[in-house]
Amino acid sequence: MYRFAYRLCGEAEAAKDLVQETFLNAYRAYDRFRGDARVSTWLYAIASHACQRMRRKRKGEPERELSLTEFVPTSEGEFALQIPMEGLSPQEALENKELREILDRAIAKLPRKYRMVLVLRDMEGLSAKEVGDILGLSERAIKSRLHRARLFVRKEISGKGVADEFHRDIATVDR
Amino acid sequence: MTMADRVRTYPGTRKPTPHQGHRKRNCLKILERLSAYLDDELSGEICKEIRAHLGDCPNCEIFLNSLRQTIRLCQHRPSPSLSEQDRAALRRQILKAAATV
Repeated sequence: MYRFAYRLCGEAEAAKDLVQETFLNAYRAYDRFRGDARVSTWLYAIASHACQRMRRKRKGEPERELSLTEFVPTSEGEFALQIPMEGLSPQEALENKELREILDRAIAKLPRKYRMVLVLRDMEGLSAKEVGDILGLSERAIKSRLHRARLFVRKEISGKGVADEFHRDIATVDR
Repeated sequence: MTMADRVRTYPGTRKPTPHQGHRKRNCLKILERLSAYLDDELSGEICKEIRAHLGDCPNCEIFLNSLRQTIRLCQHRPSPSLSEQDRAALRRQILKAAATV
């Protein structure tokens, strides 16, 4: 649960608050748990709702909607990722601290409703149906949000600025 | 300049080949379906259409590979776990709070 909370919140203290809130809410609602979903799915749902409530308390502005057209490449350098991954497994590529930070920043910049779907589906490994049950959305809506979330992250890590930052940091390490 | 034009002019590793009949909407139609394609959720007929387009449109293929890499990075990104000490402290806090519920 901490891992999920950390991925949603992006920092340790907020993640601990979310874990605490989740387990307290689960404790309060345990009588109403009918057992027709897995306990983990039930906890994910409680955590997701708690996360949305905590966010609303902190700031009330509406979340940005992501449109597919904003992900169409507008310059030649945006089709491929501008970070060297050739011949590397994802695990090997992620051993690079700069790449991890770039990826984390991209995920953190996602509007929360898209981040939740990306985290549950691609990072926690749940099916679209499970994510739909957790968030109270149709599978179709989940797939649509997931696609936009992935395109957002792809765009963020394919930018020229990111490439410059990555290669500058590598050069600093090499020196 | 349409997306198809931009796609054709990208100096990728694979040299774009001239192809006819592509319009901006063809590339956009592919872009809309790339996650479903990578997640193996499309019918054989649609996959065939997409593969044909990718074979003809190198930069859509480059784009697809970059999306595949992005997804794999997300899937393999490890996240920090709690230390034993933090885990015990958090458990104590939860139990204390639960006692007042």
